Amino acid sequence: MATTAKEIKEFEEKQEWWWVAEKTRSSRLDYLRKAVWKKGALGGNYAPGIEIDLEFPELYTETWQENEGDPIMLRKAKSIGNVLENLPIFITDQSQIVGCVGSAPHNIVSYWQGASMINEEIYNEQGILPQPEEKSLERLAALNEYWGGNTALDELAKVLDPEDAVKFMSGAIGWGTPSSAVGYATKDFRHIGKGFENIIEEIDENMERTDKLLRGNPSPDLLPLYDKLPRWEAMQEVLDAAIEYAARYARLARIIAENFETDPKRKEELLRIAETCERVPAQPPRTLQESIQYDHFVQVVVRYETYEGAMPHRPDYLHGPFFDKDVNINKSITRDDALDLLGEHLIRTYEIGIFSPRWTREGLQGITGTWVWTMGGVNEDGTDACNDCTTAYMQVARLVRIANPTFSFRWHPKVKDELMREIFECIRHGLGYPSLRNDPILVENAMYWHGHPLREARQWVTQSCMSPCPPTKYGCQPFRMASATANCAKIVEYTLHNGYDNVVNMQMGPKTGNAVDFKTYDEFFEAWTKQMKWLLNILVRTVALGRAKDPEFFSRPILSAYYERAVETGTDAVDYTNGERGNAWVTAFTWVENADSLAAVKKLIYDDKKYTMAELIEALKNNWDGKEEMRLDFVNNAPKWGNDDDYVDDIMVQCLKTTAAHGKEIKCVCGNNIPILPENVSGNIHYANVVSALPNGRRLGDALYDGGISPGPGLDKKGPTAVLKSCGKIDHVLDGRAFLLNQRLSPTQLAGEKGYQLWKSYVKSWDDLGMDHVQFNMVDDSTLRAAQKDPEKYQEVIVRVAGYSAHFVDISRKTQDNIIQRTVQGLG
Amino acid sequence: MASCNECKSFFSLEDDDSMGDCVRRIVDPRQAYYQAKPVEADNDSSNCASFQKK
Repeated sequence: MATTAKEIKEFEEKQEWWWVAEKTRSSRLDYLRKAVWKKGALGGNYAPGIEIDLEFPELYTETWQENEGDPIMLRKAKSIGNVLENLPIFITDQSQIVGCVGSAPHNIVSYWQGASMINEEIYNEQGILPQPEEKSLERLAALNEYWGGNTALDELAKVLDPEDAVKFMSGAIGWGTPSSAVGYATKDFRHIGKGFENIIEEIDENMERTDKLLRGNPSPDLLPLYDKLPRWEAMQEVLDAAIEYAARYARLARIIAENFETDPKRKEELLRIAETCERVPAQPPRTLQESIQYDHFVQVVVRYETYEGAMPHRPDYLHGPFFDKDVNINKSITRDDALDLLGEHLIRTYEIGIFSPRWTREGLQGITGTWVWTMGGVNEDGTDACNDCTTAYMQVARLVRIANPTFSFRWHPKVKDELMREIFECIRHGLGYPSLRNDPILVENAMYWHGHPLREARQWVTQSCMSPCPPTKYGCQPFRMASATANCAKIVEYTLHNGYDNVVNMQMGPKTGNAVDFKTYDEFFEAWTKQMKWLLNILVRTVALGRAKDPEFFSRPILSAYYERAVETGTDAVDYTNGERGNAWVTAFTWVENADSLAAVKKLIYDDKKYTMAELIEALKNNWDGKEEMRLDFVNNAPKWGNDDDYVDDIMVQCLKTTAAHGKEIKCVCGNNIPILPENVSGNIHYANVVSALPNGRRLGDALYDGGISPGPGLDKKGPTAVLKSCGKIDHVLDGRAFLLNQRLSPTQLAGEKGYQLWKSYVKSWDDLGMDHVQFNMVDDSTLRAAQKDPEKYQEVIVRVAGYSAHFVDISRKTQDNIIQRTVQGLG
Repeated sequence: MASCNECKSFFSLEDDDSMGDCVRRIVDPRQAYYQAKPVEADNDSSNCASFQKK
């Protein structure tokens, strides 16, 4: 029975936006949205019905074994080629965009060449093995036996400093795997957009020129050229395989149209899919459908090479001209047709599922990766880059309501009010996205920290959750963050315990002295600085070695074919000598605990002398047991970040400036600076049992703060302006690469036109204070608590967790509670 | 012995009739789709539960 306008109005009034979406989207989007499998782990476990794809690793391994004598990139390219040519493919009813990572819609994939520890985890994972389970276990055992001890990470482990390796992999101080096996990379879309056949031709020319040189006068300068030839061959191999992969979809679409389909309209769609896949990615796209299909093939194919946990991308910029041509100029499709294509683009991306080990699943609950698409911003010449496609993506996001990908919007003063209203509607509908990024600040930041030229800096995309990166020939960043993720609460923890970690029971940091002996706060801070430097150094040098060895141990033929600089030089995309400028940063998880803990120490130990350091350390070692009154004193009577209190805000700024100075001393493999970037994904929950009791009153096991510069949940007591003023004391250009701020707003207060104007004023203050990021949760407590009680009824409620969004019912109870505890800010 | 090329689901490649795709309609708990799996034409399909003679 059709829903009436009155019923939709009622849903809107009740702010049940998920019903509004379901009742107003096209029947095609409704089918496709409900058809897609949920592949992010729920809390920490995969949903019933999700299966690991075993055909993919078997096809890969079969060819890998057959080509033992080949250089690694060529060996890998042939293995990927076998997968792309022989893995089953499928076309879902009603879909117009094709391509998936895995042989069936409910499959997730993994990469056996990457890491034995992940392979072993899959063997032991309950509930994801295809039936019959016994047969699957045999297949897994055969794969694990072959790869055991021979994966990229196994190879890397052999060259790492043993002490560094133990500390890095302890899980206490950092997060991540120093290998392309688990990472993400910027894509050079201007180069990719030439069409794969044209890239193959460029490679042909490079090979011919090199061949001629090698047959000329012998010289030692020519010797490195011999290694380039098989790399170019590898790049061609994967590009050819990708074209063949698309051709397989074209063929399947024609088979369905000619043999099975009876509906003439669907037949026509299938033939259009066939024509599209015969065109792209071999040739550049000409229409919106071809452009989206091209883009999707690029993203899918690279995920047959490795886990790509992020999706640095600017889809409105890429597809905008085709959208405008098809919808507004030629009128070859209607706006509704275009929304169907964009909506399916989101759904097909959401469909990609990759197995994550448990520690990643806990840190990234409910999603496969942080696929944050960058929208808006400016053109190279500084003019407004927002277009009709930007608006359309905002509109369709509210209709399909998926949690991955999400959007990050590059706000600047020239953004039109109509578009700001669309953005606000997404936030008001509780999507938790787009996050707002301050474009002028971040362009300046990119130039300051990494020396990106202005015209390149203006093209930036979000590399993962937060960090900007220009997707240009020399700007593209091929290797995760080229540095590391630090569990920064350990800095203050180790300062208090002379570098000893009481959770993992080992000496981790340097012995900076017994804190009881520090006579002044300055001495305490000096020890903090030493611990900070040690933490950044150990993480950066470990990841740098992994980065340097990656072409030898893992190799990226597809990414190399996607990079102009790699195609030009015959190098692996990850090779740091091929002209990459460097865009590294250290993600600073659990950062704000440092400011609040240092402020508590300064105030209650050194200034007021209310407690001795010995008493504090004893209380912390005992997890505050038997010292509840003292703990509450540290919670309530020590200044807390986010209240516009200079006492603690100055400490925050001092910590950041000290760390930023070190960020200029340490260098990435390209020789560029390494700023920090305070944020959490759901690392604040993951590390809850890893970080011991702290002077801010936190106990071992309590969730850590949720943002990069967000105040502790419930500790910001002076309203949103005070939060902004505290955050505005940070220099968002000089003090770090970016700073994540979570804010919860009241959906009731922000209803209607008045709500929009209040929010817009908030955005103005945020800009006036020179801040680079803010993101909003706008779902009220009663809805979230109702969703906890009756999750089946609230399957579509989305929340902003940290740098990403997730369906509320897919995250752990602890993370749910943490979101509810965040202060709801009343504006105005 | 039945082989794949005798099956209704088999569609040979245009340029190589020794190879083809096994195209089947699958309905899972969430969606319906067509899947294509590359197979050799003379592949033994005696044990294939989906075999349907042309």
